[in-house]
Amino acid sequence: MLLTLDLNDARPLHEQVAGAIRRAIGEGSYTQGDRLPSARDLAEALGINSNTVLRALRELREEGLLEFRRGRGVSVARQADGRALIRERARALLEEAGRYGYRAEDVIAILKEFP
Amino acid sequence: MTTRAPDPGKALVAAVWGAVVTAVLIAAPLMLRDRLPEPLAVHWGPGSAADRAASFGIAVAMPVALWAVLWPALVVTAARGLSRRSARASWWAGLTGGGLLALGLGGLTLLANLDVATWTEAALPLWAPLALVAVPTAVGVLGGYLGRGAPDERPADQEPPVLRLGPGRRAVWVSRISNPWPLAITVVAALGLFALGAFEITGIATGPVVTGVLPALGVVLVVGLFASSLTARVTGDGLVLGFGPLGWPKRRIGLAKIDKAWTEERSPSQVGGWGVRGLPGAATIMLRGGECLVVGYRSGGQLAISIDDAERGASLINALVSERTPA
Repeated sequence: MLLTLDLNDARPLHEQVAGAIRRAIGEGSYTQGDRLPSARDLAEALGINSNTVLRALRELREEGLLEFRRGRGVSVARQADGRALIRERARALLEEAGRYGYRAEDVIAILKEFP
Repeated sequence: MTTRAPDPGKALVAAVWGAVVTAVLIAAPLMLRDRLPEPLAVHWGPGSAADRAASFGIAVAMPVALWAVLWPALVVTAARGLSRRSARASWWAGLTGGGLLALGLGGLTLLANLDVATWTEAALPLWAPLALVAVPTAVGVLGGYLGRGAPDERPADQEPPVLRLGPGRRAVWVSRISNPWPLAITVVAALGLFALGAFEITGIATGPVVTGVLPALGVVLVVGLFASSLTARVTGDGLVLGFGPLGWPKRRIGLAKIDKAWTEERSPSQVGGWGVRGLPGAATIMLRGGECLVVGYRSGGQLAISIDDAERGASLINALVSERTPA
């Protein structure tokens, strides 16, 4: 599972981690029924507290994306829905646009240029 | 992708050679039966004195049984194909050295028992145990060396997609793999260990068999535990592998040591089984056949790890390496 965190992101860390996992599942890294790496492994790799990762995993469970099973760990319950994924990507796009001085309205204008 | 074409030629060689060895192992004692005592000496203690005997049938069956384990395995592996150099070398070593070991075992037993009145008089020459180990080993090494074939090609079509790391981003890759078989074996070993330990303590069964089996089961337990699962992660520091369900022991490979990473398909029969296989510099950590993450060192060696989602891991390693060392 490839996870990317933006170091300049102002959102709480658990939200960022949830976003990264959502993106990884959406990109086909893990499909329905696949077992996720343990929260401890993810936390160690990201260099953050495992409670933060657990909080992110619980958020995704509430979304219905993950399921927790005793003895089986955390697995993917269903594919990430398109809307959540697009939201995630749009947020990243707006952030990148912001770095170049474009506001949300500018990005919308650019999007409208597409046929 | 490494092609693994079936090799009917080698399978035929193994089948014919195996049949010849088996025929000799059975025919030679039958032809010499008049000159052999009954029972035959089959085991010699220190000082070359025979200390165990077995009936003619069992004495003949012992080297055949040894060969009957190795022979089919050689035929099957050749029929499935030997694409890697290490696999070809070990196949030829097994075929030549293994055959000679079985022949030597049968031959020396016959030689010692020939023309003696009772099995207690069967003396083994002093050089015999040494020769039984040294000759098949030497022939096996030579056979492996001669049969190793062309060096392995690094597959060019397994380049992972290029990953672009934006500025101010931290990317990590985490993956795990588990194989239920070593875990099952571990559980069986643990149960066996427990049962034998209980027998030993309560005195139901004691003796050399129990004390001999105990350490072996202990080794199976420990090895099985470490071989049952593997976690891998790639961070800015490099690649870290954790063995076993606890992720310990760990193996760290610094990013500075890594030249590039790619993926390959490898199977246990190609690399010589499960677990850590091969020599340092060309090793494979094999838990299941299929996709492997291969890390090429700057020093020229490589390490392959059977792991899920290897392509993304390889992409991230390459991205981190190119970030560290701007070309």
